[in-house]
Amino acid sequence: MADSAAAQRWIGQAGFAALILSLMFFRLLPLDTLPPRWAAPDLILCVTLVWTVRRSDLVPVWVVALLFLLTDLMFGRPPGLWTALVLILTEMLRARAADLRSASFLVEWMTIAGGVTLATLADRAVLGVVITPQAPLGLTLLQMVATILTYPAVVAVAKIVFGVSHPAPGEVNARGQKI
Amino acid sequence: MARDRNSGEDYIGPIRRLLVGLMVFVMVAIFLVWRIDSPRVERFRSAVIDRVVPSFDWAMAPVTGTVNLISDFQSYQRLAEQNRDLRRELQQMKAWKEAALQLEQENAKLRDLNNVRLDPEFTYVTGVVLADSGSPFRQSVLLNIGARDGIIDGWPAMDGIGLVGRISGVGQQTSRVILLTDTSSRIPILIQPSGQRAFLIGDNTLNPPLEFLENPDVVRPGDRVVTLGDGGVFPADLQVGEVALGSDRRLRVRLSADYGRLEFLRVLRSQLREVITDPGSLIAPVVPPVVAPPAAQEDTAPGASDG
Repeated sequence: MADSAAAQRWIGQAGFAALILSLMFFRLLPLDTLPPRWAAPDLILCVTLVWTVRRSDLVPVWVVALLFLLTDLMFGRPPGLWTALVLILTEMLRARAADLRSASFLVEWMTIAGGVTLATLADRAVLGVVITPQAPLGLTLLQMVATILTYPAVVAVAKIVFGVSHPAPGEVNARGQKI
Repeated sequence: MARDRNSGEDYIGPIRRLLVGLMVFVMVAIFLVWRIDSPRVERFRSAVIDRVVPSFDWAMAPVTGTVNLISDFQSYQRLAEQNRDLRRELQQMKAWKEAALQLEQENAKLRDLNNVRLDPEFTYVTGVVLADSGSPFRQSVLLNIGARDGIIDGWPAMDGIGLVGRISGVGQQTSRVILLTDTSSRIPILIQPSGQRAFLIGDNTLNPPLEFLENPDVVRPGDRVVTLGDGGVFPADLQVGEVALGSDRRLRVRLSADYGRLEFLRVLRSQLREVITDPGSLIAPVVPPVVAPPAAQEDTAPGASDG
């Protein structure tokens, strides 16, 4: 039985990685090479946050590090900075996951909004300190707001399509620890 | 209730925290290395892209094709209307073609009279657009040609009509083109009838503004904009677009290239400029070889043979 639980965990982790990779793939498609007037939400970040809050056992920290470093390299961002910020953000959410489980959705959403805002501002602040050319501020803020607004939708999709929701009280992982 | 979870695994907690801290440290270190020694990390980036994107290629082409088909389907509904418009445009084009042919003949005649020699080494490699930047803040595309096709950083990329951008980052099989609309793109340009020089500075909009214009009064909307060959950075006289007055009263450039549909790009092989290094022998008087001592004679020998 422990074997099947471990296998399920592996499948869940692989599924998460595959989902992020496919989102990356769709963002790379050369569908629209015009400069955008508005910024689409950062779905990769959104999905990662939903999974971290709901089922943090499916989001190992090294997978987050590798995937986000890859996106940094692929999307032409300064490599490492955004990855480090997302690592810190997901670790903070992981530590609060148990509290968020018993809190209302609004509290969870506000926590996410605060986290995303802080990460975005920290990103811009660090880039400003080391004097790197930056994206237009308006577009960055637009993307940040869009990401926060999409969060409930991603939560719904995660629950309905992928069956990812808060673990029930008393649910245990492969090693018999509570999750 | 939620707290007692941690009591059982206190021996894992500190190690895990240490590892996560180490990971964050490594990421920040990568970022700092990138900031200090950008070319090396950018080479690593293009190597990674070179490995990853071509392996996606089998899936990318059909998916892109399908999505484009769906968006094209909407335009099929207006087929009759489009057809009429196209016919009218074709009529106008025929008139222009006639004019162009006459001009071409006249040009050829004048060239012949003047003994003009055009640069014969102006060839190009055509590549297919594999992927775009994947970020709303970066305007670049990835081509399926790279170092194995002889692509070199800095070469200009055009679609059929106008300049699109320049190569920045070459992998073995792929290369990245920074579009003129990217915020880090700066291209020296020449505005045609007035001969004004300026920079075309990308700002993430479709019509990039002109900067460092010496005399904006002589530039009119509608003037032709071509690339400037000064400094040997870029080949001269590639069509870029025409001047337009933006809604913010700034002079901007309406780009000739069709940025909505970048599928095939041609990368021009711009040859290295020949640099004239020796000072001409006309200004300094040439010492006659017979009078000079043997050591000095060898120094002046090449100059003497020129004169």
